[in-house]
Amino acid sequence: MSTISNNDIAKAIYLASKDKSSTEMHQVHKKVVEFLTRKKFMSRVAVILEQLKKVINFENGIVSATVLSAHRVHEKEEKDLVHFLKKRYSAKEVELTYILDQSLIRGIRLEVNDEVIDLTVRNQINQLKEYLIRPA
Amino acid sequence: MSNSSIVENLRKEIENFKAQIKVEKVGKVMEVFDGIAKVSGLSDIKSSEMVTFLNGETGVALNLEEDAVGVIILGDFSKIKEGDEVKATGRILEISVSNNILGRVVNAIGAPVDGKGVIKSEKTYPIEKVAPGVITRLSVDQPVATGIKVIDAIIPVGRGQRELIIGDRQTGKTALAIDAILNQKGQNMICVYVSIGQKDSKLRKLQARLEAGGAMAYTVIVNASASEAAALSYIAPYTGVSIAEYFMDQGKDVLIIYDDLSKHAVAYREISLLLRRPPGREAYPGDVFYLHSRLLERACRRNEKYGGGSITAFPIIETQAGDISAYIPTNVISITDGQIFLETDLFYKGIRPAVNVGSSVSRVGSSAQIKAMKKVAGTLKLDLAQFRELEAFSQFGSDLDESTKRQLERGKRAIEVLKQLQYAPIKTEHQVAVLYALTRGFMDDVPVNKIKEFEAGLTEYSEQNAKTFYKEVKEAKMWTDKGEVELKKVIEDFKNGWN
Repeated sequence: MSTISNNDIAKAIYLASKDKSSTEMHQVHKKVVEFLTRKKFMSRVAVILEQLKKVINFENGIVSATVLSAHRVHEKEEKDLVHFLKKRYSAKEVELTYILDQSLIRGIRLEVNDEVIDLTVRNQINQLKEYLIRPA
Repeated sequence: MSNSSIVENLRKEIENFKAQIKVEKVGKVMEVFDGIAKVSGLSDIKSSEMVTFLNGETGVALNLEEDAVGVIILGDFSKIKEGDEVKATGRILEISVSNNILGRVVNAIGAPVDGKGVIKSEKTYPIEKVAPGVITRLSVDQPVATGIKVIDAIIPVGRGQRELIIGDRQTGKTALAIDAILNQKGQNMICVYVSIGQKDSKLRKLQARLEAGGAMAYTVIVNASASEAAALSYIAPYTGVSIAEYFMDQGKDVLIIYDDLSKHAVAYREISLLLRRPPGREAYPGDVFYLHSRLLERACRRNEKYGGGSITAFPIIETQAGDISAYIPTNVISITDGQIFLETDLFYKGIRPAVNVGSSVSRVGSSAQIKAMKKVAGTLKLDLAQFRELEAFSQFGSDLDESTKRQLERGKRAIEVLKQLQYAPIKTEHQVAVLYALTRGFMDDVPVNKIKEFEAGLTEYSEQNAKTFYKEVKEAKMWTDKGEVELKKVIEDFKNGWN
């Protein structure tokens, strides 16, 4: 079991490269790569990068959300969504990723980190199914 | 039911249904192996919280790490794949309980496995609960009549006590427990038998035996068989004690048997190693003591103010080659209020139940005995202790004085009387009458090989003829002078007729 978690490394990289000029950044990057090679952490790079993105987003008040829906979301709905997400997560900026999925039938499903708000018809049908077969 | 009424009912149900909109915590499966899943996400999950997998299986979060959660899967893990969604339920692992559970066989999560249909239940109980505190408890002073002479007389067990049954394989540990269950008929006791990592065939046989003895009416069997995942073996005893607590909360007395806790410790070791918890002595994790202490501490006798009722626990431990100083046996010995030690040598000598009276002890002692039993057992304990001492000594020479010879003869007869057949629990009154005859010397001139025959005859004869004595012991828990005179006369009459 490693004592340094991916999250720790990502945070360290963020802090080391914060407010640095581009020449300094070059040095930081070199050192980071050296460190990862020396510690044999190269296999964990993909996860560390993902964590780094999360750390940067968190520090800059950016919320990244995935919107799943059966049909394209209208502009007005998108505005409402952004407004809602900014308020809920006290974010400065919202990044939306759209995924179309016909099996949702109608409605949208919002995924932010590990939180899910499911407003789709498929979810309602599943809930109805569980309600009808519940033990007496 | 006609088609239209089915449709009508369905329509009503659908009208009553309201979809819930809520924020759910969802994670993703990163790895699945040997009944364990590593899940990412699930940031606010609690320890021991239930999670549900996409295919409907339930899991329990055990390891909460910085960026992952270690979940044990309670069921089939072969259909769970990497990337599957995992939902947190917000509830600590719980089971459904109701009075309808009596007479049923359930699995480690309380679901019926005996093919007798669903168990209607009105309540759920969490499987992990903090044991009742000091204020709510009462000292143990009511006996559990096990129907086994050697236990009731020498190692008495009280309601709310935790008495360990320990011994090698094939020494009759389960048999003792089953006899104790069989003897609870009409004793106002609910029994819970928790089978951990046992063969299904053994359990089936045991269930049939309990059914034949009419004991299933007040018994629940919790089964986590050898073929099921280690996670189920791990939670089964907690499920059992939760069922017991449900009945105790109704003010009832409950007897719970954990068969056996060595396999439980092994299952927990397996889970812990898979979850990469650091191994300690014998590769058990550091909290293996707490695993059993928190379970056995839930056995108690509660005072009336807090609802009364009691849980008596009979944990079973299987030793390897009689080694009671191994890790798990010493742990459980130190947690319990005494142990019944069964020995292979005694078993093969034909002394069954193969209880080693010298190494067995009940820390609650005679306060959990009725007065009549206390009176006869006191002398019996002394007789046996003297016998053990003299037996070794007498091997060296045959020149023994009269009193030594007498003590040796008495000891041999005492051992013979304490032998008992399996599935034949004996009523307390009968035990008292027989032990009275033994300790007062009425059996001293009966040949040792005829003792069993004598005992059987005396039991039958005295029950018919010493009615006052029996009535007194049964109702007042002690005989009067009148009863004693009557019993003495009956024993003498029987002896005269028997010879």
